[in-house]
Amino acid sequence: MQIEIILHVAHPVRCWARLSLFGLACVLAQGCDRTGPPVDPLVAKGRDLFFNETFDGNGRTCGTCHPAENNFAIDPTFIATLPADDPLFVAEFVPALAENFENPRLMREFGLIVENLDGFGDLESVFTLRGVPHVLALPTSVDSAAGPRTGWSGDGAPGDGTLRAFATGAVIQHFPKTLGRVPGVDFRLPTDEELDALEAFQLSLGRQEDLRLPLALKGVVASRGQEIFLDNTLGKCNACHANAGANGDPNIFGPGAGNLNFNTGVEDLPDQPADLTGELVPPDDGFGTPGDGEFNTPTLVEAADTGPFFHNNSVETIEGAVAFYNGDAFNNSPAGQLLLAATGSGINLDGTQVVEVAAFLRVLNALENIRVSIESLEQGLERARQPAKEALRIAVADTEDSIAVLAGGGLHPAAVAHLREARRLTERAADGLFRRDALVRDAIAAQQRARAELLQEDTS
Amino acid sequence: MTPRNRSSYRLWAARICWVAAAALALALAGNRGAEAQRTTEQFIPIGQSPGLSGVVTYVGEIVAVQPGSGTLTMRRPGDTGTVTVAITGDTRIWLDRSEIGLPNVSGGFGDLAEGGVAEIHFRDPDTRRSAAWVKVQSVDPR
Repeated sequence: MQIEIILHVAHPVRCWARLSLFGLACVLAQGCDRTGPPVDPLVAKGRDLFFNETFDGNGRTCGTCHPAENNFAIDPTFIATLPADDPLFVAEFVPALAENFENPRLMREFGLIVENLDGFGDLESVFTLRGVPHVLALPTSVDSAAGPRTGWSGDGAPGDGTLRAFATGAVIQHFPKTLGRVPGVDFRLPTDEELDALEAFQLSLGRQEDLRLPLALKGVVASRGQEIFLDNTLGKCNACHANAGANGDPNIFGPGAGNLNFNTGVEDLPDQPADLTGELVPPDDGFGTPGDGEFNTPTLVEAADTGPFFHNNSVETIEGAVAFYNGDAFNNSPAGQLLLAATGSGINLDGTQVVEVAAFLRVLNALENIRVSIESLEQGLERARQPAKEALRIAVADTEDSIAVLAGGGLHPAAVAHLREARRLTERAADGLFRRDALVRDAIAAQQRARAELLQEDTS
Repeated sequence: MTPRNRSSYRLWAARICWVAAAALALALAGNRGAEAQRTTEQFIPIGQSPGLSGVVTYVGEIVAVQPGSGTLTMRRPGDTGTVTVAITGDTRIWLDRSEIGLPNVSGGFGDLAEGGVAEIHFRDPDTRRSAAWVKVQSVDPR
């Protein structure tokens, strides 16, 4: 009634106002009426727990160290963007956690966090410092013939050692209010239902199956990198990273080998960055107590944009990570010696070959980011306003990763240009009120053009 | 031997070497899954270990401790039978003090006493011969 009175002024104004109201109604309808595809309620519950539940602890959530906008991992660059009161930094502002909970300097400079993998009896000197691995593509990396492998050394979970039980250990290690770690006082333990939901959510993230190499890549450098990667007499990478994943090649290790642990000599690297600081960095003995020096095999598809690399973040670039396998630390290690026994030689790639393998991994990573970006953009079309904005925000982050990964290796400039266009369109769609659908569709098309620059045909 | 035959022989030989080396690697590493060290287990109260409690562990009362043989005999509420398990050098023993709001701490064989409530995780749940870990309830504030 009130609107009618206001509109009853002059004919042209009334028309304009009616049109505006109609437009506003359309915008609201566009934003509110969409519910999107049904989401598994267990996954949705797990997502809520992962990002919001502190388990009555020090304020951290799983998402504190595994943020969605940074590939579910943290690194020094991301850490530098966080406010001083972020729960990641509890050791800097909670007196009870000031000593022996984290090393703030090594956290900020190298993204390292403290783990008491050899027990809690001597917190001052018995600990390890590890990077935060992403939690993508877990359905492809947890299973092994010797049981589930979680965390960097495969033994990260208490209880039955499964991914489901992992959250319980994480709460005890990373969430306490004090180092007493008393359940019911310093935190509460996740319930069975919460463990189920957290597991379901984590298993829903990223790739659900391994690639099937070789891919029909367009770039000559990445194509040569793929050949070297798959050549069991040259790069020898595929033996332990079958299809650039986390599992041993079934033709070599048997069909059920799954994820394997190896001592690759990373701990023997000279001049490790954290060691150079003079801070106490005890050696990490890997799997078991006492440890056997072994760590499990990570996936490589997601590697290029989730550095720094290895369990101790000791190598910053993907090229450096590939080059590691040329050095004495690897070739003298138990894994290197195994390779020597099996093939008659270690790994000896020249500089061009190192860059080619790295280029291959960069392109694989960009292809995966493009897949995820398109998936997120499609969610942006299907969902209501706020979830759509969140999906578009993830698409922007993944597109930025695609750009950084390709541009950082000087690869596929035309694809990079398409990706920049996709990012611009996605940001406009996320920020604006109008033409969201059209912008998102254009962004998807730009992503597809970028993919077409990388692959001979759409095989991803 | 023709060049082609030589090439396939080399491939075949390389494959054999790979498989042999892989078998050795798996033999050395493959049995360690069940022995994995998961130290946060220490802080999980009796009966709450995810995937173990209520599935493969044994929660009951300590009815006998035999220091000579290094064994522990337990009985579950309502059971008539007992279970005797060896406590070996690498069995971890934890004192569960969560009921009195104190941190759980490592203990030793001497902390196992008749009448106490304990949870045992067997190394092999089928044979139940030795314990991977034992949690024993404690109200000792020291």
